[in-house]
Amino acid sequence: MIVKDAVCPFCGCLCDDIEVEVEDDRVVAVTNACELGTTKFMGEKRLKNPILRYGDEWKDITYDTAIRYAADMLLSAERPLLYGWSGTHGEAQCVGVHMAELVRGVIDNTSSVCHGPSILAIQEVGHPGCTLGVVKNRADLVIYWGSNPIDAHPRHLSRYTRYAEGFFLENAFRDRKVIVVDVRKTETANIADEFVRIKPGGDYAVLSALRAIVQGKTDTIPRTVAGVTREQLVRVANLCKSAKFGAVYFGLGLTMTPGKYKNIRNAIELVSELSRHTKFTISAMRGHYNVYGSNEVNTWMTGYPFGIDFSRGIAFYNPGETTAVDILARKECDAALIVGSDPAAHFPRKCLEHLADIPVVQLDPYPNATTAFCNVQIPVAVTGIDAEGTAYRMDGVPIRTRRVLSTDYLSDREVLSRMYALMQEAQER
Amino acid sequence: MKVTLAMKPAAKSFISIEAESIVPKNFLDGTDLSVWRGNRELRLDEVFSVLVEGDADRSEDVEVVLSGETFRLKRVGEYMDGGRITILGNIGMHCGNFMSGGIIEVRGNADGWLGREMAGGAIVCRGDAADYCAAGYRGGRKGMTGGTVEVFGSTGDFLAESIAGGTVTVHGNSGDMAGAEMRGGTLVVHGDCRRPGANMKEGSCYVYGTVQGMLPTFRKIGTVQHGGRTLIRFAGDLANRGKGNLFVKDYEYLD
Ligand code: SF4
Repeated sequence: MIVKDAVCPFCGCLCDDIEVEVEDDRVVAVTNACELGTTKFMGEKRLKNPILRYGDEWKDITYDTAIRYAADMLLSAERPLLYGWSGTHGEAQCVGVHMAELVRGVIDNTSSVCHGPSILAIQEVGHPGCTLGVVKNRADLVIYWGSNPIDAHPRHLSRYTRYAEGFFLENAFRDRKVIVVDVRKTETANIADEFVRIKPGGDYAVLSALRAIVQGKTDTIPRTVAGVTREQLVRVANLCKSAKFGAVYFGLGLTMTPGKYKNIRNAIELVSELSRHTKFTISAMRGHYNVYGSNEVNTWMTGYPFGIDFSRGIAFYNPGETTAVDILARKECDAALIVGSDPAAHFPRKCLEHLADIPVVQLDPYPNATTAFCNVQIPVAVTGIDAEGTAYRMDGVPIRTRRVLSTDYLSDREVLSRMYALMQEAQER
Repeated sequence: MKVTLAMKPAAKSFISIEAESIVPKNFLDGTDLSVWRGNRELRLDEVFSVLVEGDADRSEDVEVVLSGETFRLKRVGEYMDGGRITILGNIGMHCGNFMSGGIIEVRGNADGWLGREMAGGAIVCRGDAADYCAAGYRGGRKGMTGGTVEVFGSTGDFLAESIAGGTVTVHGNSGDMAGAEMRGGTLVVHGDCRRPGANMKEGSCYVYGTVQGMLPTFRKIGTVQHGGRTLIRFAGDLANRGKGNLFVKDYEYLD
């Protein structure tokens, strides 16, 4: 059987033109997806059933036992942490927020370690963004700043920018200029019309300089700024000003380097400045396929996009304090539920030390680095493969992922709903 | 009136205790107050040994003295409007949030957001202060609007972010982006710091040490004499409206 228009549940591009060939409830071929997407569809070896740590060994347990374990753990905690959420569908994320409120815990998603700074900046100065389709059809200048789509979002270039046709561009490949700004010559830099190489930590200074140049204050800018010559800065500013429609896409090279959210704020303010001359937009290259969705769900349910602390019964938000890395490093939680992410693979050692000290339950189809820290792991169906649900593309467009095959695994939403029901019962008693 | 709060040793928990009820004014009505550890509400005397000496009928006459593992206490002195709080050791985050009057003295170090969005009164920190000392809140346009904060040690990053009024003095060094988004008030760093005054609109920022990573969007105006020091005067941030004053002893660009 061939499933057409399947949605790839890997990166924030959320490509919705994938063809998947299924035989005997197994994916045998994938067309249109990039290598990352294909690997995800072909699947790794999944965990068969829930497991419970028993001394040095794992014991197989039933879903009922595992779900009850998690519910009891969360109910008895003084400050439970519910973390992850970018690798699951919106419907499951909703249940997660309800649970966090009921047990008065902290709910945080992976944006606190990727694009959280982008959101902080947006909260300060707003977001002049647009959908990917607008960029594809109109943009004659695309800037990748601190992002390397060839590696992380392979089809971004072919579907929307460098190699894409554009409705309002006569010859998109010729008319669309691409600028890459980075600290090293990435693969994406090789296909750019202009490459701006910045000294590490120099993004903020370069953005400030560009803002001043766009305002016509070139004379005060030193001869070089963070390794970039004034001539090149002026050239880039002119390219931007003379474009009909410009789009900036930034990545972790801007959000996770010194200055963090101030870098993004500066980039947004540069875009606002450019919009006095022409049309310019800016957007984040979101990583996980539904990390944007997690921000959306949290925001419409609690008012805040990530790092929400319900311990006092109302939502409190303060990244740097109520975010997972900070809470774990300070040992400020006493239980953790991990859904749809693998913190042990990314978090600093100090955080993992605390994770090892507290009870941890994880919902994940595969054994991963976090498994080593779990007391219980519950395998679930994979959204976009054997579960369906809503995900938000990096530009904020919701797309319903499809189920391409059926298995007996419960989805995240089903497992969490059962957990939540148990918790509600216990509260009523 | 003097209220002494000695923290009882915690079993093993590092979960912080939110104690916004610890403000001098509240003790005028007794000590029947509560604090929160995570999602649990606790009586003040479950966490502290409480001793009250003398009495008072206005907050100006109340002094609260805190001792023990006070680094786990958050929000002490929040909305304080008068009186005095003395913390003998280190204090947790958000000490003196929204304070409008009175004095807080921290003998040890202070964690993040010391004196966040402060409007008046004085905070003295004898040790170091962490990130966001005298700063604003996420997404907020104005940080501190009045009062004074004096830190005798060093501070972390984003010191006095979005400051709009009042005075902040740091005797040691400060981290990255001191006085970012500054729109008023005065910031003085006796030691070194990185990239001060980023995107500042108005206000005055003094650095008596060396500025690293000086931003390229400040225009050099000349030198000035200031308290016996010769400082170089800049106007900026030109990326923004550029009406701020930045005075530095010495600077280097990331060129
Ligand atoms: S670009 Fe992203 S969403 Fe598209 S196929 Fe590749 S991994 Fe999947």
